Amino acid sequence: MRINRALLLLLTLALLVTLTVSMVSAQMMEVPREDTVIFDVDGSNPTNPNPFNHNIFFGHSLGAAGGNTGTGQSVYEPLFILNYETGVIQPWLGESFVADESQTVWTLTLRDGAYWQDGEAVTADDFVFTLQMLLDDETARLYRAGAFQDWVSGVEKIDDLTAQVTLNRPNPRFQLDFFSVRIGGSFQMVPEHIWSMVENVYEFSNFDLEKGYPLGSGPYKMVSASENEFVYDRDDNWWGAATGTFPLPQPQRLIWVQTGNDDIRSLLTINNELDSVMDITLGAFEAIQAQNDKVIAWQAGMPFAWLDPCPRRISVNHAVEPWGSADMRWALNHATSRNDVVRIAYEGTTIPSQSMFVEYGGIIDPYINRLAELGMTMNFDADVAAAQALIEGAGYTMNDAGIYEKDGQELAIDIQTHEGFIEKRRIAENVVEQWRAAGIAATQTNVAGGSWNDNKALGNFEATGDWDQCGSVNEPWASMDRDNGKWYAPVGERVVGNNLLNRWQGEGNARYSELVDQIGVLPLGDPAILPLFEEAYEIWYNELVSLPITQAKKLIPFNTTYWEGWPTAENNFNHPATWWHSTHQIIQNLRKAGS
Amino acid sequence: MGAATGQTASLAAPRKAGRLNRFDNPWLNIKLVVGVIMVGSIILMGIFGPMLRDIDLAYVGRSPLNLPPVGFENMRGEGGDPLHPLGTDNSGRDMLSLIIVGAPNSLLVGFVAAGFGMLGGIVLGFTSGFLGGTADDIIRLSADITITIPSLLVLIVIQSLIPVQSLLVMAVLLSLFAWPQPTRLIRAQVMSMRESGYVKMAQLSGVPTSSIMFREMMPNLLPYLAASFIGNTTGSILAAVGLEILGLGPQRLPTLGRTIQNAIDNSGILRDMWWWWGLPTIILIVIFIGLLLINLGLDEVANPRLRKATRQ
Repeated sequence: MRINRALLLLLTLALLVTLTVSMVSAQMMEVPREDTVIFDVDGSNPTNPNPFNHNIFFGHSLGAAGGNTGTGQSVYEPLFILNYETGVIQPWLGESFVADESQTVWTLTLRDGAYWQDGEAVTADDFVFTLQMLLDDETARLYRAGAFQDWVSGVEKIDDLTAQVTLNRPNPRFQLDFFSVRIGGSFQMVPEHIWSMVENVYEFSNFDLEKGYPLGSGPYKMVSASENEFVYDRDDNWWGAATGTFPLPQPQRLIWVQTGNDDIRSLLTINNELDSVMDITLGAFEAIQAQNDKVIAWQAGMPFAWLDPCPRRISVNHAVEPWGSADMRWALNHATSRNDVVRIAYEGTTIPSQSMFVEYGGIIDPYINRLAELGMTMNFDADVAAAQALIEGAGYTMNDAGIYEKDGQELAIDIQTHEGFIEKRRIAENVVEQWRAAGIAATQTNVAGGSWNDNKALGNFEATGDWDQCGSVNEPWASMDRDNGKWYAPVGERVVGNNLLNRWQGEGNARYSELVDQIGVLPLGDPAILPLFEEAYEIWYNELVSLPITQAKKLIPFNTTYWEGWPTAENNFNHPATWWHSTHQIIQNLRKAGS
Repeated sequence: MGAATGQTASLAAPRKAGRLNRFDNPWLNIKLVVGVIMVGSIILMGIFGPMLRDIDLAYVGRSPLNLPPVGFENMRGEGGDPLHPLGTDNSGRDMLSLIIVGAPNSLLVGFVAAGFGMLGGIVLGFTSGFLGGTADDIIRLSADITITIPSLLVLIVIQSLIPVQSLLVMAVLLSLFAWPQPTRLIRAQVMSMRESGYVKMAQLSGVPTSSIMFREMMPNLLPYLAASFIGNTTGSILAAVGLEILGLGPQRLPTLGRTIQNAIDNSGILRDMWWWWGLPTIILIVIFIGLLLINLGLDEVANPRLRKATRQ
């Protein structure tokens, strides 16, 4: 009898659980597959580790508000979007952002008629509140709070749609760098009427679906979140459509899913269960296309890929001897065949880097072309004899094993790589063999992501495969500034934003930093930039501060079975990075297949 | 029993079918012989392979990419190249050279890890079983506790924190969990042996304890030790392959686990590049079955009841 009662209790509990789950599921309206777009979560590697925390000032590395799980791509809107194809900064939630002649006072004008998802108007008060919150953040933990505190001396409302930002010093790139989705994310305005009520912004999860949180101004509202799936439904009352500024996006539902490795993502794409996939290998893409001819990429043929603005490089720690010597870094460079890295590690899907910059078709090319004219571009093939001459010049002799040594110590170097990135591991594997062929006992170590980041920031490495020259897109300053001496921190202390992680010091760095600072206050395209650029780059090149290796390819498959209008080299309304804050543009351009 | 043994038996005087021949050599049982041949072939490949094949081809960038084995085609319809009879991977590693270097390397890790584990097991097992008392309590408890620790999990953590660039270091790490089983086995055998007449006699004769342990008792334990060693080798290889597939362990040195990891990372199954994962898997099967047969064969040597009678 007692057993029967227990059994009955268990059955009742099971029934209750089932009913609860059914009720939760029932809250989400049924949306046909053909009205739904399913995105892969950035290589199935969410930047926000907590699916129930959407505080857009935390929990992500790209700066795309809310990370790469859809919030920044559909709920929170950027003020402006940089068009990589044209170099033009396009208005979105903002209408204009202009500087005065001194480049120290910037005036923002917001779109008239924009409103948050709860109907409250988007005003300059929201902008002032958000920026002030970052300026007041003593911990500088909120996203980009430190950078704003460095640049901004004050912000004030002029009228409901206008705000004025005063800078500490001239910055002609203020809008480009912070408000236009230059790379990944950008400044994210939040509704003052909600965030001003938050007692502790650091602990605010911004996640309460009943209250409508996360609440932005975008055309989609989050309807469910779990460890591996984030669902957003279209808000037909979106300000963009209501004011006639933009058409209402066609997809009724957006889903971001975290699925697994390349094989799983590829199989889901073949089976039309994914519409957009983050970067995959050429082999996997070929396997997908062989089984689903509806899948396309940025380019129709080899190399299929789009160039991400973060070129791949190998950073050498100047604080670790003998790599503090420019000659020894040049020896590594001579021993490196960039063509082989492209051929082997990328199977031909990218191009070797000529310089520290991204070679994004045309916008920055004049600067790179100038470097070529001056003979300051990187070698594409290895020159082992030149490498060995420099090593021998430093007093090393080759032992019986074909490795150089001095005072009984082998010339060795270890390249640390992030274990999660096959692309970077393959670069390092290839470079290790090239360096060994020149007599350097090179090795590669895979390190867990968190440790790899810490090691870079703290200087606990000999060499590391990274992309921390990332910055410039349409001008040279941003990438060059990352080696500015102002970022220096000794080994054991954390560098800010992984800038100057190579610990470059000395007279060269002092002069270089001076020149970079001078470039920094000149407007984009100012003719005075070129001579400063040439002198600064010559210092950087002669000391070979780090080793640019290849341009970064992103092979991003799009499935046209249900949706067309994806960005391609032909349909190049902008770049195809679906994990950036600019994804709003991509969603705007999607059309139902065959419509 | 092996065929050779059978022939020898047929020359002897007629006997009733199914009876054990007291001249049968238990070390020549079929399982042991086949197992030794299988594992021995891998060892021989490691010794003689480099004389017949350029093993530098096992490293990145030394061969054309994605070639199939001779007689097959890859996804792009490209055929094989006789210079690379087993094909190549997507980083230009020659599969034949990879197998020639990688299979013995994987076996070596297993042997070294099991060897260190066995060494620890012998010292601790004898000490525990022969001396008894507090030493026995401490050693027994330590072994029991270590056995309950999920070794693979701990090894993953250790190798994530301490980058391993050498197979020897990897083997030493694996051996940290390879000593409890032999310790327990040896302790149990020693406890029963120490009451034997010959041990008592040796003690009465004033033979030093270490001599009794290692010169009198140890030879009687050899079959058990060998079986335990082989079991540990299997476990260590399995753990090493597991770690390598997770991306841990030496990155440059070719091993079977590293080869399979590369196949997984680069969608070998999806791309129908079966030789990337199929060949190392076949070699692993040969190694594991070979070691299993050796273990079963040694079991027969140690346990006469398991021996089958020679057929007449």
